[in-house]
Amino acid sequence: MKRTLAIPIALTLASAACYGGGKDRITIACGAHEQWCATMTRRFTEQTGIEAGFVRLSSGEAMARIKAARGKPEFDAWHGGPADGYEAAKKEGLLEPYLSPAAARIKPEWRDPGGAWTGVYLGVLGFCNNPDVLAETGLEPVTSWRALLDERLRKNVGVAHPATSGTGYTVLWTQVALGGGSQDAGLDYLRRLHPNVLQFNKSGNAAAQQAGRGEVGVGIVFSHDCVAQQQQGYAKLRVTFPEEGTGYEIGGVAVIKGARNPQGARAYVDWALSAESQRLGPTVGFYALPTNAGVTPDSKAADLSKITLVDYDVPGAGQAKPGLVRRFEDEIMAAS
Amino acid sequence: MSRDRGGRLPVRVAIGAASALVLAGTVYPLASVLAEAATPAALPRYARLTSASDLGILRNTLVLGFLVATAGTALGLLFAFVQTRLDVPGKRLLHWIALIPMVSPPFAVATATVVLYGRRGLITHGLFGLDYDIYGLDGLVLVLSLSFFPVAYLGLLGMMRALDPAMEEAAMNLGASRRRVFRTLILPLLAPGLAAPFLLLFVEAIADLANPLVLGGDYVVLASRAYLAVTGEYDTTSAAVYSLVLLVPAIGLYLAQRHWVGRKVRVTVTGRPAGRVHLVSGWARWPFYGLAVLVALVIVSLYGTVLAGSVTEVFGVDFTLTLDHLRVALGSEAIADTTVLAAVATPIAGLAGLVMAWLAVRHLRAGSGWLDFAGTLGIAVPGTVLGIGYVLAYRSDLEIGGVTVLPGLVGGGAVAGGSLAIVLAFVVRSVPAGLRTATGSLAQLHPSIEEASTGLGARPFQTFRRITLPLIRPALLTGLSYSFARCMTSMSTIVFLVTPDTKIITAQVLSAAGMGYYGVAFAYCTVLTVIVLASLAAIRKVVA
Amino acid sequence: MTGLLRLENLTKSFTWDAPPVVDDVSLEAAPGEFITLLGPSGCGKTTTLRIVAGFETATSGRVLLDGVPLDDVPAQRRSMAMVFQNYALFPHLSVFDNVAYGLRLRDRTRAELTEAVRIALTSMNLVGLEGRHPHELSGGQQQRVALARAMVVQPHVLLFDEPLSNLDAKLRGAMRAEIRRVQNLLGITSLYVTHDQDEAMAMSDRIVVLDRGRVEQIGTPAEIYLRPASVFVADFIGRANFLEVPASMTGGQAIVTVLGRRQIVAAHPLLTGDSTALLMIRPESVRVTPTAVEGNGSVLGVTFHGASVDYQVETAGGTLTCTVAGPHPGELLAEGTNVNVSFAADRAYALPRR
Repeated sequence: MKRTLAIPIALTLASAACYGGGKDRITIACGAHEQWCATMTRRFTEQTGIEAGFVRLSSGEAMARIKAARGKPEFDAWHGGPADGYEAAKKEGLLEPYLSPAAARIKPEWRDPGGAWTGVYLGVLGFCNNPDVLAETGLEPVTSWRALLDERLRKNVGVAHPATSGTGYTVLWTQVALGGGSQDAGLDYLRRLHPNVLQFNKSGNAAAQQAGRGEVGVGIVFSHDCVAQQQQGYAKLRVTFPEEGTGYEIGGVAVIKGARNPQGARAYVDWALSAESQRLGPTVGFYALPTNAGVTPDSKAADLSKITLVDYDVPGAGQAKPGLVRRFEDEIMAAS
Repeated sequence: MSRDRGGRLPVRVAIGAASALVLAGTVYPLASVLAEAATPAALPRYARLTSASDLGILRNTLVLGFLVATAGTALGLLFAFVQTRLDVPGKRLLHWIALIPMVSPPFAVATATVVLYGRRGLITHGLFGLDYDIYGLDGLVLVLSLSFFPVAYLGLLGMMRALDPAMEEAAMNLGASRRRVFRTLILPLLAPGLAAPFLLLFVEAIADLANPLVLGGDYVVLASRAYLAVTGEYDTTSAAVYSLVLLVPAIGLYLAQRHWVGRKVRVTVTGRPAGRVHLVSGWARWPFYGLAVLVALVIVSLYGTVLAGSVTEVFGVDFTLTLDHLRVALGSEAIADTTVLAAVATPIAGLAGLVMAWLAVRHLRAGSGWLDFAGTLGIAVPGTVLGIGYVLAYRSDLEIGGVTVLPGLVGGGAVAGGSLAIVLAFVVRSVPAGLRTATGSLAQLHPSIEEASTGLGARPFQTFRRITLPLIRPALLTGLSYSFARCMTSMSTIVFLVTPDTKIITAQVLSAAGMGYYGVAFAYCTVLTVIVLASLAAIRKVVA
Repeated sequence: MTGLLRLENLTKSFTWDAPPVVDDVSLEAAPGEFITLLGPSGCGKTTTLRIVAGFETATSGRVLLDGVPLDDVPAQRRSMAMVFQNYALFPHLSVFDNVAYGLRLRDRTRAELTEAVRIALTSMNLVGLEGRHPHELSGGQQQRVALARAMVVQPHVLLFDEPLSNLDAKLRGAMRAEIRRVQNLLGITSLYVTHDQDEAMAMSDRIVVLDRGRVEQIGTPAEIYLRPASVFVADFIGRANFLEVPASMTGGQAIVTVLGRRQIVAAHPLLTGDSTALLMIRPESVRVTPTAVEGNGSVLGVTFHGASVDYQVETAGGTLTCTVAGPHPGELLAEGTNVNVSFAADRAYALPRR
């Protein structure tokens, strides 16, 4: 046993030399998908010469890791993932405000006024319809939140869980917004939708998968996830948007408080907001809308001119999230 | 009763090493989390535990654990029975098929289940025209039982092979029918062997996270609830409280099992089985065989889907062959990282489990329960919580008087790219399986064989190395194999420990599946499965 | 010569509230002596043996070897070897390796080891079986391997835990002689546990009779058989007729009235004054002679054993068993035969009633 213990110890000593934590190196907590994260960091390194590594984490996982590190974070910057997570992190004092010069090209409502976080992409909620499955029950592609409550859609709607998925929470908050800011109204809508939901999935785009496979007639997803599925081979899927108005997610980027390489982290934020980086999404199958006004959206991305957006209060959504999610768990999930 | 009172140094060293492992790997990180659960701020959280919703979650968890443990143990028994007592063809193949689920990467099997047996499943809907909703308890029980039963199977297989057939002959001779022999003789003799996998499966089932998330539907269990508290509510306190609750049934069941098995000490292996196994060759063998073959077919279909999914564009929609997914997976550094770390962790875990079992069964009367339990704890704690515990406990450098005593072990920038913490997590998560199988087989080894060695002048450690170890080698093999598979497939803890320098396959599977790149996810799982199966063969070669 | 084994007031209770399984057992075995612990199952004989071996710890009392207390000596350093009831051969090792096991722990050279094992195997008639594994051996062969394995390390004490109970009767007889032969040859002090009194009689220098954890008697087989210390011993060892008779003591002997006659017989030291005694008469000491007229008994049953014949004889004092050796066909008595029953006074022994 002593001999076997020696192996990891030797490993440690050997590699401790390699990972001494050089100054020109940053670590990113990345909340978007693997390939997007990989492309972003690789191009960043090419541009600046600063080495960048990333770990893909959901918002909650990233939060838990940053929080648990108690002021000695392993990450320098946080990139991707919905802004409500960033809001919560800001409230916990985990973010280092940084007003990037590049933020000037981004609408004020898409970033934190204090510079705690800045929006890098926009995802719009839509319906991912499988016309074949809907036709079996005599339905057309769904175009309104109200129509989703139709009894014929029993167990035929895919949606993500508000606790595990940014998509899920955006659905919930959109209903709050449509209910005039009333949390009760938002929860009430989900309670009525619940019988039609096949399952509250862990991840946001699983509903697009389910629609693609025909497990459900319609999935509530960010429209770019449905587009990605179409690209993946589920060509028959159709994206629609609710006429009552729909919610959206702002993907954020932020510098983490106590970062070992704050300079590198700020350089990364500048890069993430640049037009050049925001054009990269479609090349890796990521069709969210860019926030940088200088970037023309890809033709497959949602067309904001044809969509009604609700008045989405990002800070409010972020602050309400823990409580609202818990209420969802207790009042809707556990009550079933 | 102390079997020896001198020459205890190796025993003490072993106790020290085992305790250190448990303390560093489980207790301290867990305590770091629970410290949060013990703050005054957490008090109101406890009051809510009696709420209808939390009680419902607790009930769900227990029901799931019970069903999976029962079904998984029954499956293990069925396969072991077919293997050792039936005169049927293709037993070798059945054996290997039964081992495949040891490699159960999160997401892949659950996803394959949905693809094949879900609402629009290629089999349930496509073949039989059913509109079956697999999300929920039934789907969970199916997937979890299939995923976890191999460990029960291997343990019971070893035990049934070791049963002295003369006893069965004696019973038959007394006029007992085959069925009666099974019920009144084999089952009671296997009882300690059944209790061990039952406990293990129960604990694994209630601690499993990936499947309740993918397949759970409205069925919320404590593990997923704790995960949701972390990821959705940013509420580690609640997660810690839920974990505390999750530990209660695990501990309770554990104590019950000890009490029950402890009262009926059955020693069956004397190293001298007499008589000959009488294989069932009448018509009665076919229902059992049929059932086993059906289960085997389901397993093959699921893993076949994973394999097929990794070489087709979009399985179920576009069956065009492609190597792109595999290319992505094989190009990932995660493959090498994971394999190396698992290879480092496996011998440590296998040996630790064995040593703990040896100490618990043979050397510590009073303390054995605690050690055994502490070893099992690694799996009873939800991985999410353990992961957070690691971050809390080992993220910062440990300094005493301004001197760094222990550098941070977790995260980017930590020593060895955070791989030490990952290895530690691998070890504590996979020790329990080895511990349980080793305990089961040690309990069956007649103490006089070891006493004979002691009487001839062997010190405890010499006896262990020369006598005990070779005799429980099959159990060791099982333990090692299972440990390696666990390492390669564990996810929930690892999510909190991966760094840019150490990528882990399961985390890649997770993100690929999260992206909707199911082909890539399947490809990762295929590669993972191949590596594990190849390693199992290698372990067999090395140990045998 | 070494191998002086002393047990001093050994007591063992497994739990504090249970009666002791070994209760104040003391005995001393001279070097080379073969001592048997004999008693019914549950009398504490195996536990006593395991305490001596070091596998169990005595609650009180101690074990000394050559005057050295063994309290703090672990089992593996006690210079004792045990032969187990189930043989406890190492199933994964060959016969050779089983026997060599103890030697390998003692840093012998390869030549020494091979030679020692060869001698042991030869003396146990195991030549040619070196490469076999235990499951390929017969019960007798396994037992001989176990014996060879224990002897080859030249322990100062050999411990036997009912080693022959799994063998058939014929083999058992052969093995008794074998064990005694080898033990004599090597002069190793031996402690032997059995519940089979024939075995104990045939093998032992001295026998320790145990009952419910206590020593009932220590003595040579003849002493135990002819002068049992208690009714328990008399009853447990061999077969015995007990007749309840009035007795009065005189000069250490008892005057008893039995089968209508006054006789003077040897008496147990605890028998005093005038009292009722239990008169023990072994079946082979009872004589029956057929009589045409009414005698003092009649034959109730006849059991023919070949070498001997047993008669159950009804008398006024109770039913007696009588064994006649080497019966002649013409002399066999039929059931219902009237007989005169008698015995030589010097073959009877008066014991106090329990």
